Amino acid sequence: MSNAKERKHAKKMRNQPTNVTLSSGFVADKYVKHHNGGGKPFQRKKQEPHLGTSRQRSVKMSPQLSSEPDVNEQSSSKIMFKKKGGWKAGPEGTSQEIPKYITASTFAQARAAEISAMLKAVTQKSSNSLVFQTLPRHMRRRAMSHNIKRLPRQLQEIAQKEAEKAVHQKKEHSKNKCHKARRCHINRTLAFNHRQRKNIWLETHIWHAKRFHMVKKWGYCLGERPTVKSHRACYRAMTNLCLLQDMSYYCCLELKGQEEEILKALSQMCSIDAGLTFAAVHCLSGKRQGSVVLYRANKYPREMLGPVSFIWKSERTPSDTSENRQLWIWLHPTLKQDILDEIKAVCLCLEPIESSVCIPNPLLTPAQEKSQTGPDDEKISKKRKRKDYQDAKSVKKLIGDGTRDPSQPRSWVSSATGITVSDLTMELNRFRLIGPLSHCVLTAALKAALIHTGEADTEETPHHWWIDSCKSSDSVSLHQRQEAVFQLLGGISSPAEIPAGTILGLTVGDPRVNLPQKWSKALPDPERFQDNEKVRQLLLEGVPVECTHSFIWNQDICKSVTENKISDQDLNRMRSELLVPGSQLVLGPRESKIPILLIQQPGKVTGEDRVGWGSGWDVLLPKGWGMAFWIPFIYRGARVGGLKETTVHSQYKRAPNIPADFPDCLAGSRVAKEQAKDLLEMYKRRPPAKRPNYVKLGTVTPFYCPWEQLTQEWESRVQAQEASEASAPGGKESDAPVPGKIHQPSHEASREPEVMDTECQDQEGNERVLDQDASEKLVTATGSQLCVLRNRKLLKQLSVWCGPSSKDRRTPCRGHQDLTREACLSILAHFPRALVWVSLSLLRKGSPEPHTMICVPTKEDLLQLGQDQHYCGPQESRHSDPFKSMILKAKEKKKMAKKQNQGATSSEALAPGAPATGQEALTLGLWSGPLPEVTTHCSRTLLGFVTQGDFSMAVGCGEALGFVSVTGLLDMLASQPATTRGLVLLRPPASLQYRFARMAIEV
Amino acid sequence: MVRFKHRYLLCEVVSDDSRCRLSLDDRVLVGLGRDTTARVHGTFGAAACSVGFAVRYLNAYTGIVLLLCRKEFYQPLWSALPFITYLENKGHRYPCFFNTLHVGGTIRTCQKFLIQYNRRQLLILLQKCTDEGEREAIQKAVTRSSLLEEEESAEEELSDSAGEATKATE
Repeated sequence: MSNAKERKHAKKMRNQPTNVTLSSGFVADKYVKHHNGGGKPFQRKKQEPHLGTSRQRSVKMSPQLSSEPDVNEQSSSKIMFKKKGGWKAGPEGTSQEIPKYITASTFAQARAAEISAMLKAVTQKSSNSLVFQTLPRHMRRRAMSHNIKRLPRQLQEIAQKEAEKAVHQKKEHSKNKCHKARRCHINRTLAFNHRQRKNIWLETHIWHAKRFHMVKKWGYCLGERPTVKSHRACYRAMTNLCLLQDMSYYCCLELKGQEEEILKALSQMCSIDAGLTFAAVHCLSGKRQGSVVLYRANKYPREMLGPVSFIWKSERTPSDTSENRQLWIWLHPTLKQDILDEIKAVCLCLEPIESSVCIPNPLLTPAQEKSQTGPDDEKISKKRKRKDYQDAKSVKKLIGDGTRDPSQPRSWVSSATGITVSDLTMELNRFRLIGPLSHCVLTAALKAALIHTGEADTEETPHHWWIDSCKSSDSVSLHQRQEAVFQLLGGISSPAEIPAGTILGLTVGDPRVNLPQKWSKALPDPERFQDNEKVRQLLLEGVPVECTHSFIWNQDICKSVTENKISDQDLNRMRSELLVPGSQLVLGPRESKIPILLIQQPGKVTGEDRVGWGSGWDVLLPKGWGMAFWIPFIYRGARVGGLKETTVHSQYKRAPNIPADFPDCLAGSRVAKEQAKDLLEMYKRRPPAKRPNYVKLGTVTPFYCPWEQLTQEWESRVQAQEASEASAPGGKESDAPVPGKIHQPSHEASREPEVMDTECQDQEGNERVLDQDASEKLVTATGSQLCVLRNRKLLKQLSVWCGPSSKDRRTPCRGHQDLTREACLSILAHFPRALVWVSLSLLRKGSPEPHTMICVPTKEDLLQLGQDQHYCGPQESRHSDPFKSMILKAKEKKKMAKKQNQGATSSEALAPGAPATGQEALTLGLWSGPLPEVTTHCSRTLLGFVTQGDFSMAVGCGEALGFVSVTGLLDMLASQPATTRGLVLLRPPASLQYRFARMAIEV
Repeated sequence: MVRFKHRYLLCEVVSDDSRCRLSLDDRVLVGLGRDTTARVHGTFGAAACSVGFAVRYLNAYTGIVLLLCRKEFYQPLWSALPFITYLENKGHRYPCFFNTLHVGGTIRTCQKFLIQYNRRQLLILLQKCTDEGEREAIQKAVTRSSLLEEEESAEEELSDSAGEATKATE
């Protein structure tokens, strides 16, 4: 320590003049220089012959400066103490040697030397800071370190020296090209292509990278959140205006083949219990988009793969024969590999189609592409095309999933079933518009394509497919109908009014052509659509099936559309050549026609309040056209959100977020693990005193949710309870309500039976039958695995049971069982270790966060809540930290070992190994070693965990979403009185305070 | 910045006896200062200004001494300085007294002041000089100090005064 202090002091004082003393006498020789940097040996040697026996040294160094003999200093001091006076000195008899008077010249020289020494000290700066940092605040200017001339003139010289030093320190510029060369288009494209080898860029990447915090996730570069402060603004956009998101990272799988075969194959992967499947009538006709949760084949309800949405191509197209159907499955990139493998297995599609003969998705080999583009190279050379090979001569911007190895198969065919599975990742763009104004944005930004009428200039245009389709009157009339429907959308105030999942196909003109000059907000025009019969009809009947047809399903057309896009540069050039600047650009037949597909996204579909919140439209575009549509949307008043806004959207919709809120699927557990790792790293980065001690707070797992252990413990708990009941006399027969223990308050039991009687028994009977045949294969096969309850019937039942009071329960409970022991047991037999998705809203204060614990309140808590209006909730008592002493001991050991090390270097090999490993295992404030019983670790029994939670701007109180154990939930509901049923306690991981919340299961 | 604030006392040791300058040593000075404050201000005064008390610079040839003290308690030390009447070293006593030239907050200001002061002294010396040889020597010293300054300094005010100095020498 003192050494460092000394060094610091020496550094500070290095430019200060040293002390000049005449400690023991004067040197005899008048030419000998007195120097205070006296450490120099050669000068001492020079002195010695003159001095002979004398040991004296003229100048003594001050002790603190001995470490830094300064050459400059020495030179100045040389001048300083040159003496002419011939003072004589010796160890003895100093008195007679000292002259009686001082000559003026000596004195003057001493003064002069001092002046120069001081001058030196004053002009040299001693601190470590740069020159401009020594300036007072008010004299500082922007970019001073960059441009020396912004400094005061007297400091410029020093700054110049500093800058030169800094330049040497800076590492050599890695790019050998100059700035201009790097900005040149070809080099830039090359660099961009090089940079997206690992993480694919979306087409809007550069736009996003300028405005968003980018994260590398799931193999993509995605915008996480805007750099501007916009949390609330984005919420407002979702609720009142329009929020735009680029969802192009979602993957699309295409299935082609006979309808029956596809349905047969896919039916193994989903269950009717969990809602509509691929075979739902509306979806199958191609009228609606459906969503479904996929499971591994025949493994329902275990081994979940993930939620997907799907669209069937409508049957009505003259070219396609009806038996050959096309199905697109849209899914999250984290789920893709598992689902793709499973679909391939189910469809028996194991033969990869070679890319050269690839039918549904032609991926050209380099040679082919070259030969194709060869003849009209001049024309297309400027156009954007996808490029799968690195050819320096024709560098092109990557469009689509260009970084993929071209030899890797992208489609697989089955000889047995005739189904072709292909991976259309990055072949399509998907933009999501959320909010009531999305209609206005869409209708303002997009204009239906003009029907081609002129026959003369067919040869010039590259859009042959459109000309061909315009020849048949059928397709022209279809296009006109689609256009009419699209125009009617402008008269609908919110997308929520349209049936969920409505699909509308359309062919639009180039949206860049009618880009407005300025940003403006598209507003609805209610006057135009007042009393419009057609709008009402549309709302009632939905979009007719024929109108869902779009050319986007046809790969060849998509490809030609992508290739024949007019580049922005050309378009701008044409604009500049207009006769009247700023007037509308008319491209005529050369204008691109882009087939698109609009899909209505239902917003909040569960629960009673805010139904339809967050609904909007998804726009599917062929690749390459992303930016051409993106900018017009923004110019019409759409606000852009990132991944964080997606999370907020799903949270306010009270829907599970993909993939973090699917603990039973592989991707979900992977994400949870990663998150736990990140959080632990963040936690460790803080000093122990500045982070919560989770052991003392009684939080066993602050960074992840131990679902497996939770469900297991609840299972064994209930089993133990039952065993104890069985041993007690008369406990086994539980048809009649046993007083005290049993779930149904007696007065209710007396009221209910006459109403519910028959239905209940029917239901129970059904359940039992189901139980009989299903339980064998279910429980024996996968009884020990975690699963999430998605059976709609059971969920409905649970949600009714969760309801607060019996009165509420009465009205909607037609067809539902009552909460009896029998019913609980039947559920538990099916799902011994199940979780259920619940939403919680806090009664009073509190804002929950992820990994908040959901606990069962005790009777006293509920009693106190009933008595005291302002009762916030109980408090957890502080736990003791048994690990702290262990850590301290380990530390001491380490210290001892270190000391021993210093003493005897022989023990070096032994000592550091043991304490280091011990130190690693223990982190102060975290539970280490095997987890204790999570349910009973705290004073309130643990029921589940929150996965998303925040203050909800939509409701105005804290809201949370999470999972609870079904076993625990039933146990809790049974023991709670009817009036307070569904009340739970929430406790964040870093707090001791429990808060009351109301639980609801929304179906 | 968070730091201890100091006061620097720039003093001149004036003594008739040239041997006095022999014994000018930082250890001697520190002891002397502490003793004198103790004598004048008692134990409290001595203790108060002995915290952070040090000799930052001394020049035996010119008799310049730079004393450092904490800002809060520099006054006891300052007021004790006139009571130093002799310098004691190795049993010898040399009568002398301290002449406070400047009290500053930083070394830098003291140094700047010292430059000015020395220059003034040199000019005075030059004016009063009678001997021809010595006059030459002094002139040389003056020009050197000003030349050095022209080489190194970047401050205008100093160059102004240097101009004066050269003018005076001519």
